[in-house]
Amino acid sequence: DMNFCSYRPALYRNLTDVSVSARPTADIISTVEFNHSGELLATGDKGGRVVIFQQETENKSQSQWRSEYNVYSTFQSHEPEFDYLKSLEIEEKINKIRWLPQKNAAQFLLSTNDKTIKLWKISERDKRPEGYNLKEEDGRYRDAATITTLRVPVFRPMDLMVEASPRRVFANAHTYHINSISVNSDNETYLSADDLRINLWHLEITDRSFNIVDIKPANMEELTEVITAAEFHPHQCNTFVYSSSKGTIRLCDMRASALCDKHSKLFEEPEDPSNRSFFSEIISSISDVKFSHNGRYMMTRDYLSVKIWDLNMENRPVETYQVHEYLRSKLCSLYENDCIFDKFECCWNGNDSVVMTGSYNNFFRMLDRSQRRDVTLEASRESCKPRQVLKPRRVCAGGKRKKDEISVDSLDFNKKILHTAWHPQENIIAVATTNNLYIFQEKVN
Amino acid sequence: MDVEAKRIMALSISKLYSLRTQRGGLCLHRSLLLSMTMRAARDIYHTAQLLRDAEEEQVVPCAPDAAIEEPMEISKDSPQTLTPKEVAMKHQEPKETVEDDKENQCASERHSRKRRSKTAIEPDFLPLKKAKMDTDEEKQHLQGEVLRTNNGNSCRQAETLTAFPTNRAVVAC
Repeated sequence: DMNFCSYRPALYRNLTDVSVSARPTADIISTVEFNHSGELLATGDKGGRVVIFQQETENKSQSQWRSEYNVYSTFQSHEPEFDYLKSLEIEEKINKIRWLPQKNAAQFLLSTNDKTIKLWKISERDKRPEGYNLKEEDGRYRDAATITTLRVPVFRPMDLMVEASPRRVFANAHTYHINSISVNSDNETYLSADDLRINLWHLEITDRSFNIVDIKPANMEELTEVITAAEFHPHQCNTFVYSSSKGTIRLCDMRASALCDKHSKLFEEPEDPSNRSFFSEIISSISDVKFSHNGRYMMTRDYLSVKIWDLNMENRPVETYQVHEYLRSKLCSLYENDCIFDKFECCWNGNDSVVMTGSYNNFFRMLDRSQRRDVTLEASRESCKPRQVLKPRRVCAGGKRKKDEISVDSLDFNKKILHTAWHPQENIIAVATTNNLYIFQEKVN
Repeated sequence: MDVEAKRIMALSISKLYSLRTQRGGLCLHRSLLLSMTMRAARDIYHTAQLLRDAEEEQVVPCAPDAAIEEPMEISKDSPQTLTPKEVAMKHQEPKETVEDDKENQCASERHSRKRRSKTAIEPDFLPLKKAKMDTDEEKQHLQGEVLRTNNGNSCRQAETLTAFPTNRAVVAC
């Protein structure tokens, strides 16, 4: 049987109780990201909030590692804004969060909405000065006449307080909607990409950015493709890739020229003519691109499949995995209910042997590259009792439905998993359904 | 077949228009995908219309061939019957033969009775008025896709929006 890894929930957190929430749609999770050590997990939501979870490990008596992720910090990153010039509202939804590698005691992350990127510093405070000479404990100044001795304040322990403060605001550089941010391996620069342009920033400089890719045509009526995602290479600080709505990926080298409109490599697979339909354009649009940790491969996600590309081979991917091929015959209905436009993300595990992506009905897929196996799992309250191993799920595409299979027509297309993340070192995964976050951990026997 | 194309065209246009009222401003990516799909459907629809009209107009000697080898063959012969301007409009030929094959059950006899006129070619669901508060880019982009139904070679006004039934049974493609 294909049960190559068993997961059990470590944390189940219901982020929305519609009956009490004042703004039910604001709690929809829009991005999930582990930091570089995996100790912290950040989520962003439609309401502009960032919630950070911290891993607490404890050694159980049965010698089973059990991780728990508890809320570490919550803050409002972005607020809704109004562009008066264009009469447009700017959504506060957090599109992406990216962590900076840790340099000192504080943690830093970049969070972005459609127009503005912010650098946040998250720091701990576990002591505070007490015993001021001139002030009372509540801050009021003491009467000068009563001060007869010199008292030097000392630091005393206090309850841990986690503070988030905005250190930089990178604004006004994007005409179109930002879809990606990516921190460079040089730890000094990062890129931000919108539909038509990619800008390069220095983390210390907010009033200037360099435009490195511009695919806007002189005449907008000639527009045929947009940028859908962009990422820096994990080790080569001069290299980045960007994907397009036409299913192509371009790799660019910043050493070649200041403006990287000309790609160094173009990754494109010829279309299969037998699959042509009205919706071929839409389903070939790439929704996510991610480099492997070792930097030798990249993975792309389009509507129906996940493709692994070798950076040295441009004409076709080295591996292709069908995520939910049974949807190919339903594209018309999915166009009608707008599901065909859903942008699924994908992620690698720590050693690049397994990739993961989401699907509908709160299903998510794990594709094992080394063992050529795949499994469909479900993230839902009903199927996730604490410490229970997740059961593989099967979708029946047609014909006779076997026991425990679910038919395509019974799938709930409102329950979609767009965002998933994998701990950089351990087999711990974070899966976001519409408004709930699930964290699963591999069961160690 | 063109019934499906017409439906997808109408669906695409209504989605394009509802995009403008969405919070956060126009989504360029989605409007691009919608207009591409709308154009593909429109091309199929127009080609099918033109073929039916061409079929009516055919001289007697050719008629038996055209009549006997119904929709599928006609679409294969289409490059010869279309004018160069109209050839430029359709860029999905291989797909059409496959699609026509599948969907040739629709009653084309019904349409062949129709008198050929310019109004027959135009879809009957384009709005008369465009919203005023467009940005330049939006306007250029959408004008190009939605109102330019005859390659910009004539300046006729778009038809008024008529009720178009969209709540049909879903046909899986």
